[in-house]
Amino acid sequence: MLVVKNLVFYAHDTESNAGATGRAIIDNISFTFEKGKFYAITGPNGSGKTTMAKLIMGINKADSGKILLNGDDITDLSITDRARAGIAYSFQNPARFKGTTCRDLISIAAKTEDERKIREIITRIGICSMDFLDKSVDSKLSGGEIKKIELATTIALNPMIAIYDEPDTGIDLWTIEPMVKLLKREQAEHGTTTIVVSHNRQFLEAADILIIIKQGKFVYNGGLNDAIPLLNDLSLCNYADICEGEYNARCYR
Amino acid sequence: MLDAIDKELLKTVADLETLPKGAYNIRKNGQLLGREISANINIETNKEGNGIIITIKPGTKGESVHIPVIVSQAGLNDVVYNTFIIGEGSDVTIVAGCGIHCGTSKSQGHEGIHEFRIGENAAMKYIEKHVALGEGKGQRVLNPTTRVFLEKGAHAEMELSQIGGVDSANRLNEATLGAGSSLFITERVMTDGNQTAVSRNEILLEGHGSSTNLVSRSVIKDDSSQNFYATLDARAKCFGHIECDAILMGNGRNETIPALKALHPDAELSHEASIGKIAGDQLIKLMSLGLTYDEAVNRIIRGFLKK
Repeated sequence: MLVVKNLVFYAHDTESNAGATGRAIIDNISFTFEKGKFYAITGPNGSGKTTMAKLIMGINKADSGKILLNGDDITDLSITDRARAGIAYSFQNPARFKGTTCRDLISIAAKTEDERKIREIITRIGICSMDFLDKSVDSKLSGGEIKKIELATTIALNPMIAIYDEPDTGIDLWTIEPMVKLLKREQAEHGTTTIVVSHNRQFLEAADILIIIKQGKFVYNGGLNDAIPLLNDLSLCNYADICEGEYNARCYR
Repeated sequence: MLDAIDKELLKTVADLETLPKGAYNIRKNGQLLGREISANINIETNKEGNGIIITIKPGTKGESVHIPVIVSQAGLNDVVYNTFIIGEGSDVTIVAGCGIHCGTSKSQGHEGIHEFRIGENAAMKYIEKHVALGEGKGQRVLNPTTRVFLEKGAHAEMELSQIGGVDSANRLNEATLGAGSSLFITERVMTDGNQTAVSRNEILLEGHGSSTNLVSRSVIKDDSSQNFYATLDARAKCFGHIECDAILMGNGRNETIPALKALHPDAELSHEASIGKIAGDQLIKLMSLGLTYDEAVNRIIRGFLKK
């Protein structure tokens, strides 16, 4: 169980190194993520979705509030210690490395160099080809390929809490459904608490609990059906002026 | 005879636990320590007595030659001129490298000047490692030169690495490519402390359909510096690419200057270069997999410099 209490995060002016500015990106959020549930967090661009996810992983440090994992206060733990405590994070824009291969990353995540075990993980993940294993995770990979590897490394950790930030970015339409099924299977078989940040209809439909975040606050949590009026509210989207009326934008707008 | 230091150096620079099988020439402190030839590979001392000539018979396939150099004598600067004549249609591996063991305050060094004449449709893989060990405070200096001449359809792959401990290195790689020939060079250099390393590369693409790819990976720690210069001089329809990346750590400094000269209208030349610290997103990714900051740095460097 993951609990966030009165979590606050201000915009930081990294350019001037002036520290926190007046605007709260995450504005006093309290919420309990129950063990083994599948959560989808959605909301307009700039509403705080990714910031929230990064606060849980420790990539962003909260300005105030607490984060508890199974009752233990992890607010001040480093990224490394949170990873070791069982939290995993799949990045929206995964890092690219020169020389480091997919095998290297999976080997680090799974803490094994055993060929058989690494192949078992790739087989279990399903959406990654065995050909990926010895590919360098560099700029030669397509956006879709690197996202699949990113997802594979997250699953290879066997995390207690798995956070996926926009997992469908760059993924072809045909891979999204297998990806959703994979996350659901991990949830069912390993009791993984799954938190997906997404606008994608299929992830929203797959979630046990949908959370809508707007201006740094959770404005809704519950089932998808009850959320439809809110999701249909075009004010949720910053790009409404651009895409209104667009056929099949693949989101609830 | 090989002593313990010799064995350590041989293992480091040539992956040899003991004397190799097949053809070899081991030079220690400017003297011949051991030599073996094979039916297809001849090794003889040159007329001047300051190097060796390695001749590989045409059509020789799957054989290798080891020619490591050990410098463990205080104050010695060993200079050697080696010539490799690779017969047409052959396919061989040459493992070179120099290990310095410095136990005193006197400087020690090695300058290996290697000339390769690679015959028509022959393929050569050349692996060269440089390392310096020992507790001595003397400067450890390695100044290698390679000159490669590729005949029609020949192929050469060169892996050049300087693993550590070398205070000063000044490298020159020169190559002339004939028609349809190809040359791939990968250079990996890591420096720390106050070490300096300079690499100059001059590649002349003379033959129609020739191609080259030059990759440089540098890790520059502490107060060390590395400079990398590469020129592709294209005189025919050809393809050439330079890729140079440098990771700066501490106060490391780097100057990278790739130069492309297209002197033929059908030449295709390109380069990509990057210098900077380890990217924050790489560190965060590895830390999110459970590595500490230092472990993440080590894994990134290891990946960056590995084959």
